Amino acid sequence: MQAVQRGDLAKLGSLFDRHHLAVFDFLARMTGSRAIAEDLVQDVFERILKYRATWRGDAPFSAWLFRIARNARADYYRKREFTATYTDAMDGEDPAPGPEATLENESEAARLQRALMLLRADKRELIVLARYREMKYEAIAELLEVDVGTIKVRVHRSLKELRDIFLTLESRLPCNVTKFPKSSPTI
Amino acid sequence: MQCDEVSEKLPDYLASRVDEVTRVSLEHHLQGCAACLQEVEGLAATWVSLGGIPSAAPDSRAMRARLDALIEREQENQARFSKPRFKWNHPLVTACAATLVLALGVVLGRATESAPAAPPGVAALHQELRDLKQMVTLSLMQQQSASERLRGVSFSNQVDGSGDEIVTALLDTLRHDTNVNVRLASVDALKRFAERDVVRRAAIDALDTQRSPLVQMALIDFVVETQERGAVGALRKLSTAAPNETVRTRAAWGIKHLGVES
Repeated sequence: MQAVQRGDLAKLGSLFDRHHLAVFDFLARMTGSRAIAEDLVQDVFERILKYRATWRGDAPFSAWLFRIARNARADYYRKREFTATYTDAMDGEDPAPGPEATLENESEAARLQRALMLLRADKRELIVLARYREMKYEAIAELLEVDVGTIKVRVHRSLKELRDIFLTLESRLPCNVTKFPKSSPTI
Repeated sequence: MQCDEVSEKLPDYLASRVDEVTRVSLEHHLQGCAACLQEVEGLAATWVSLGGIPSAAPDSRAMRARLDALIEREQENQARFSKPRFKWNHPLVTACAATLVLALGVVLGRATESAPAAPPGVAALHQELRDLKQMVTLSLMQQQSASERLRGVSFSNQVDGSGDEIVTALLDTLRHDTNVNVRLASVDALKRFAERDVVRRAAIDALDTQRSPLVQMALIDFVVETQERGAVGALRKLSTAAPNETVRTRAAWGIKHLGVES
């Protein structure tokens, strides 16, 4: 990033190669849409180019990158006055399931994905950062400018809410067979 | 470990970021607390199942191509703005150089033909050079870019003689140029023509009309250096009514140096 700041703009390509998948995964899980996430990744790297002078070398690049990614996503929805519901956000090739029959055929992972998208965006963000980006709670706290204890409490609550939504979706299945594992193999 | 501590430690426990002592203590508590055990099992199952949601794959190649195009555009912009303003391959400069070479050739040709023809030839070359410098100066002073105009004003000092066109252009710059630095430079450049009434009158008028303290100070110095007593009225006005205190003081100083009591 220092090279980009000095004017060696070609180095932005290297930064893209190294970080774009992480940013894309974060944005795809937040929006539920591959196409929107791709556009937002583009927006993120445009912003890096535009605001390259504002990066301070004493802060980790990834923290700055995710701050830009969060802003890009927020601006996207703000501009479109978009309510990020699951059905709105999904790609055309993956239509939102509606009838009970669809629910029945849906895999457990797809149902959990639906539950995740039904979670409020700020709660979903915590789970995405902690679970998929494997960010330490201290790093999330710094990113969201909240103390680390609060982050842990919120992660706990968000996870509980996610589980409740998931179980509600399960209970709507015609033949109520719970496929959810009762316990974790890692514990 | 108490039940509320379990809630507190759970996020770290799920992310496998607890130390061994905490882990053992937490699991010991779970063995004796059915409620906590149920909650931890449920949330741990959700945590693990989240890992089963596949991640989408982006079209990295297309995204990289878009980024490369963006970088290329930005590099072009960067190159355009970092180039020096004065271009040696500018058509005007090229034309001047060509004319100079041509004139030099003509003069040298005549000089080698017959010795007596040399003095008029050299004079013609000087005239040619002066005209060229004047043309370049006037052309630069009409540019949109303030730095180009500033260059033109400075270049006017290199024009020999006292072409009316240069004086008119400098006065026009002093009166109407939007850039304060260019106006300041024009005051300096006009000192060379201070013996002309039109220039001295313009300086007095400018004392009334200019609003920039920097230009006002330069004009005060100008009228003092040229001992223009006709400027006393304008200086008195400035010494009392100028918004800037430094200007007021300088105007009073100017009146004193013009040998008039303020």
